[in-house]
Amino acid sequence: MNLKDLMKDYFLDLDAAGKDPHQKIAWCTSAGPAEILRAFGFKVYFPENHGAMLGATRTCMDTIPTANAYGYSPDICSYLTCDIGAHLKGFTPLTRAYGIQAPPKPDVLVYNTNQCKEVMHWFEFYAREFKAPVFGIHSPNLLPEIADSHIDTVYRQFKALIAMLEGICNKKLDLDNLKKTVKLSWEASGLWSEVLSHLKHKPSPLNFFDTTVLMGPIVMLRGTEQAKEFYSFLNLAVQEMIASETSSIPNEKKRIYWDGMPVWGRLKFMAELFKKNHTCIVASTYCNSWIYKDHDAADPLLSMAKNYLDIFINRNDAFKEKYIFDTVKDFAADGVIFHDSKTCPHNTNSQFNMPNRLREKGLPSLVINGDLCDLRCFSDEQSTTAIEAFLETL
Amino acid sequence: MDVLIQKYFWGIDCGSSEIKVVVCDASGNIIDKRKQPTLFPLLDHVVRALKTDDDKPSPFDSSGSLKEGHIITASGYGRHHIDFASHKLTEIKAHFMGVKKHLGLKKPYTIIDIGGQDSKVITIKENNIHHFEINRKCAAGTGAFIEALAHRLKLKLNNLTTIAEKHDKEMTLNSFCTVFAEQEVIKILMSGEKVENLIHALYKSVVKRVLEMTAITTDTIVFSGGVIAYHTGLVNLFKEQLKDKEFFTVPETQYCGAYGAALYGIEENPCSPNE
Repeated sequence: MNLKDLMKDYFLDLDAAGKDPHQKIAWCTSAGPAEILRAFGFKVYFPENHGAMLGATRTCMDTIPTANAYGYSPDICSYLTCDIGAHLKGFTPLTRAYGIQAPPKPDVLVYNTNQCKEVMHWFEFYAREFKAPVFGIHSPNLLPEIADSHIDTVYRQFKALIAMLEGICNKKLDLDNLKKTVKLSWEASGLWSEVLSHLKHKPSPLNFFDTTVLMGPIVMLRGTEQAKEFYSFLNLAVQEMIASETSSIPNEKKRIYWDGMPVWGRLKFMAELFKKNHTCIVASTYCNSWIYKDHDAADPLLSMAKNYLDIFINRNDAFKEKYIFDTVKDFAADGVIFHDSKTCPHNTNSQFNMPNRLREKGLPSLVINGDLCDLRCFSDEQSTTAIEAFLETL
Repeated sequence: MDVLIQKYFWGIDCGSSEIKVVVCDASGNIIDKRKQPTLFPLLDHVVRALKTDDDKPSPFDSSGSLKEGHIITASGYGRHHIDFASHKLTEIKAHFMGVKKHLGLKKPYTIIDIGGQDSKVITIKENNIHHFEINRKCAAGTGAFIEALAHRLKLKLNNLTTIAEKHDKEMTLNSFCTVFAEQEVIKILMSGEKVENLIHALYKSVVKRVLEMTAITTDTIVFSGGVIAYHTGLVNLFKEQLKDKEFFTVPETQYCGAYGAALYGIEENPCSPNE
């Protein structure tokens, strides 16, 4: 199964749905309750993916200033600014990729603050623009443990969301449909987890720059048969790569854990830099973030409430530090590179002394400055020197 | 009969301001050193720094080809553009190798390398790089910061230490950003402040910025890098801030990275006993 075709089909289907007056469209955050939306029959669009596309194509550098001029600060999430800027300019990278003129207009927007509060401002902008209803799930965050009270808070918000969606769709939620969607989501995420675990193999068959692309379906198509099929296929393909000793990085010498967002506009540059230095990034906080191991079709809403609270970004520093330390050991990584992403403090874990704490535990680490999209915050030369010097010390 | 070919190990530190070149014999003895401004096209100027018109050694023959027995190692920000170099390493490791050879310290120490484009604080433990920090994507705390303000004030870089020594007042520059610092400087001068006090404050801001980068955990500090060579006044300010430390300034600070690069070339090309 071809990832390119899968993504193309997803976007063309979404585009067609946007033009069909009988088809409802929901916009959802990447760690929002997509399963509920799909169970209602919504076609689901993810603005964060649009932000990543703008970043990867570097067209964000034309759209961020538009949002800045409109009143959104250059210091806030550059997914938000590049996406809103693109909307204001009437631009989308989907045109060049798939011939699509614009993302489909939403019938409802649903966000979850489990990842950050910026998504609230982002989705509220579009709610005003499209005069569409918006629903926010306000998650308790930075949690040391997931308590029943936390789960209950989110569960009750899911129930309120369902009531709202029933009004929009003029139909009751089909519980069997939800169970089926949650099961598919759980299966795809289990397979994705398995794919990622294959990077433990030495030499690793894939690296971080591969997995940032391969994660597309788990974000945008979770809860569908296509995502499950894709990861079944991918899982087998990676197993075959291991059997044939196919190595992602020729002559792999060093292995790294990457924390934080990718620098979308410099993916190729970074991939080549690590390849040249015979270094494989074998694990990352980012790609591991869409593993929902506790999704349970028998109790879909409660299990979803728990899983969406349990995501890495929503946990406290002690949890994150242990998670990174354990994952580094598990994947036999030699060190950690923290990406201090200027406009994404929520998904940056180096700012409260974690690198030093890990270093005291014997884990070498490096912090590089950059951003997920805004290349004004990233220096090729400085990052190259820092990364190469770090690799020299390992 | 085999003819023994004398080996020459060339180290280039291709920095943002200057290209520094050191050539050594196989034992690491410096045969010659030279430098020139970093100008463009870069490779032309790197080659110019390696070639000389006099009888000093050059790695190139009259046709411009690399001579046998000449091994070139490149470091600094421009290292990846020097395609004829046999080896490349970061300036962080290059400075460490230069300091190690020059000083031979066995105890843990911290190298403070203030460069034209960035500053580094490198912690050495057990004779290896234990940790390092590079300044953020910002000119504050680097030679570029000093250079920009000197340019604005039309002062020669070489004179700044002498000027700063004549200060009679402690002042603080609040701005991190070079552009805003320039504005602040103009405002201070407009209010009638002496330029000597201002330059002293400028030096203090560089020292403060470097010390903010990371906690110094060793008792010994070694200064390296080009900026210290031009601005010896910075050393005294570091000493004032780090009172209980022992200080060394590596000989020929500006050439330390190039020397380290040459030493790396020796390490990567061990000579047989009869060489």
